[in-house]
Amino acid sequence: MRGRSMAMETGRGVLFALGAALALLIMAGRAEALPKCLVCHGKPTLSKTLPSGRVISLFVDEKQLKLSVHAGRACTDCHGDITAIPHKGEIRRVSCVRCHYRGNPVGAPQTDIYVEYAKSVHGVAAASGNTKAPVCQDCHGNHNIHPPKDPTSQMHKAHIPETCGRCHLAVFSEFRESIHWQAFAGGKTDSAVCTDCHGEHTIRAHASPESSTYISRVPETCSRCHASVAVVGKYGIKTEQVATYGRSFHGIAIKYGGKTVANCASCHGVHDIRPSNDPKSAVHMDNIPKTCGKCHTGANVNYAKGKIHVDPTKKEAGLVYWVSLFFKYLTISVMVGLVAHISLDLFRRFRRRGSAD
Amino acid sequence: MDAERNEAQATRGVEAGLPDSLRRELEGEIRRAVEAELTEELSQELRDRIVARLKAELAEEIQARIARVKAELEAEILARAAPVPAPVPAVREFERFSWNFRTQHMILLGSCLILIITGLPLKFHEARISQLFFDLVGGVQMSTLLHRIGAVGLIAVGAYHFFYLLAFRQGRRDFWELLPRPRDATDLFQMLRYFLGKTNDKPRFGRFSYVEKFDYWAVYWGMVIMIGSGLILWFLETSLQYLPKFAADIAREAHSDEGLLATLAIIIWHFYNVHLNPENFPMNWTMFTGKISEEEMRRHHPLEYEELMAARAVHPAVPRGVPARRAEDSSPMAQS
Repeated sequence: MRGRSMAMETGRGVLFALGAALALLIMAGRAEALPKCLVCHGKPTLSKTLPSGRVISLFVDEKQLKLSVHAGRACTDCHGDITAIPHKGEIRRVSCVRCHYRGNPVGAPQTDIYVEYAKSVHGVAAASGNTKAPVCQDCHGNHNIHPPKDPTSQMHKAHIPETCGRCHLAVFSEFRESIHWQAFAGGKTDSAVCTDCHGEHTIRAHASPESSTYISRVPETCSRCHASVAVVGKYGIKTEQVATYGRSFHGIAIKYGGKTVANCASCHGVHDIRPSNDPKSAVHMDNIPKTCGKCHTGANVNYAKGKIHVDPTKKEAGLVYWVSLFFKYLTISVMVGLVAHISLDLFRRFRRRGSAD
Repeated sequence: MDAERNEAQATRGVEAGLPDSLRRELEGEIRRAVEAELTEELSQELRDRIVARLKAELAEEIQARIARVKAELEAEILARAAPVPAPVPAVREFERFSWNFRTQHMILLGSCLILIITGLPLKFHEARISQLFFDLVGGVQMSTLLHRIGAVGLIAVGAYHFFYLLAFRQGRRDFWELLPRPRDATDLFQMLRYFLGKTNDKPRFGRFSYVEKFDYWAVYWGMVIMIGSGLILWFLETSLQYLPKFAADIAREAHSDEGLLATLAIIIWHFYNVHLNPENFPMNWTMFTGKISEEEMRRHHPLEYEELMAARAVHPAVPRGVPARRAEDSSPMAQS
C-alpha cells in the first residue's frame, strides 16, 4: 500500500512537472497567439449568424481580456477545439471544467462548488438540452471574468440583479422597486439581492423541497438576515418578527407540515417586498384585507385592527399583553395555593403517622 | 338399612293388612287355639285379643308415618320459604353519583385527554417532544382534526350538563349544593388549622367539600373560557367578520394560557385528590362505580350522612339491611 501511494505521489509529481512545462510553453507562445487571433476577432464588427437566425458578436476586447483573471491564458486554453485558421469543424461552447475542478494543476481555484450546479435548476435544464438554460459563462462572463469581490465582476453583489435579470426580466423589474434593492442602491450593502435568498450554484425551483425558497424554508431563509441584530438591527429593523412569526399559528403550522399556511412571502410579497408604510406594500394597513383575503375568504378591515406580529409579553401588544399577564399571575397564584394545600395535607398525614410510632 | 326395611315392612303391613312377624305370630296362636279345641269363650277371647293387637299395631304405624311425612313437609317448607342467603355486604354503600352524572364525567375525561394531548404541543411547539408528537400523529393537520374532535366532545358535555342542571332533580339539587357558601371559607380555615396541628377536628363536610367545589367551578370556568375562545379560533374567518383581529389574539392567548392552567389543575390538584392522596391511592373509584362506602360517607361527608340517616328515620320505607340508595334521578321532569 505504502509503496503504491509513494509511486502515485511520484506519478503526480511527474504530471505536475509536465503541466508546468506545458504552461511555460503556452505562455511563451501566447505573445504570438493572441495577436494572431485578434487579427480577426479584434474587429468590433465581426459576427456570425446562428442557424436559429440569432446574430452573435465574435469581437474580443483585448483590454477587457487583459484585465480579467484569465489574462495569462492563451485563447486555445479555453477554446481547445480550435486547431487551425480558418477554423474547421463545429466550434463548441467553452467548457470551464477543463480547468475548474478540485486538484487542477493550472492554478484555478481549488474548489468543486461547481459540482452543485449540475443539481441546480439551471444545470438540470441545461443537461436536458434546454439551450436557453445558463451555463457558467452566462453568469460569470466570458472574456471579462473577475473575482466576485471585484466591482467590475458580473458576479459582484451590485451587478447580480442585472446578471440574473438578463433572463429573468420581469422579476428584475419587480425587484428594482423593492425595499431590498432600494436599500442596496442606497448604500446598505447588507441588503439582499437574488443570490442571498435563492443561492448561487445551488439554485432550485421554489417548488423543490431542497430550495431555500421552498414554502416551509422561506422563514429560515429570511431569518438569516431578519433574525440577526448584526445585519438588520443597524437599520432599525426589528428582529423579533421572526420569533413572533414562529409563535403564530402560521409559524407553528408551517414548521409541522402545513402546506396551505402563510410564510413570510405570502404576506410581504416576494420580489417586490416594500416597507409597511409604503402604500403599495402588501402589508400596508390599507392592503391588509386584500393580502389576508388571498387565503382567508371574506377578509375585511377587521384584519388590520391589531398588531400582526404580536408578542404577548410586550406592552405594545395592548390588551393581549394584559390578558397574558392576568393568566400568568392567575396560574402562579392558583398553583401556589393548591400546592401549599397539598403539602400541608401531606405534612399533617406524615406527622400524625410519626407521632403514632 | 334397618330403617329402610322397617319402613318397607310397615308399608306392606298397612297395605296387605299385617306385617309378616305379626301374621306368623297370630297364625301360630290361632293354630294352637284350634288344636286346643276352640270353645265359644276361647274363640271370643281370641278374636278380641287379635283385634286389640291389630289396632295397637296399626295405630303405632300410622302415628310413625304421620310424624315422618310431617317432618319431610316441614323440611321442604323451610327450604322453600327461607330467604336466599343474601350476601350481606361487609360495608353498606350509598350511591354518590348517578349513572347520568358518571357518563358526563367519562365524556369530559375523554375529551380533555384528547384536547390536552393535542393542545400542549402547540403551546410548547419548540420542545423536542412536540416534534415527536407531530411526527407521530402525522403533522399539524391531523392534530388539528383530533383537537376538534375533542372539542366537539367538550362542547357536547358542556351543553348537556347545562341542560342537566335545569331539567334533572338531581342536577338542580347538586347545583344548589355546589354553590359556594361562607361555610366553605370557614371549612378551609378549619382545615388549615387541622393541617397545622392546631386542632384534631377536621371540618365536617356536607355533600360537597370546598375541595370538590373548587374542582367543579374550576372546570366550569375553564369550559367557558376554552369553548368561547376555541370557537372564535375554530371559526376565525366568521369571527373576524364581527371582531377586530386583536380580539382573536386575545382569544388565542386566553385559550393557550387557560389550557395550561386547566392541565396543571388536573395534574396537580385533581390527581392528588383522587389518585395520589394516600387515602385514595391508586384511585378513588366513586366517579366510575358511583358507590361510596358508609365508612367513607361518615368520614368525608358527615353532614350529608346524618341528613340521610335522619330522613330515613322519618320515612323507614327502606328496610334495614338492604343497601340504601339516594333519591333516584334517572328520569327528567316526570318526577318533579
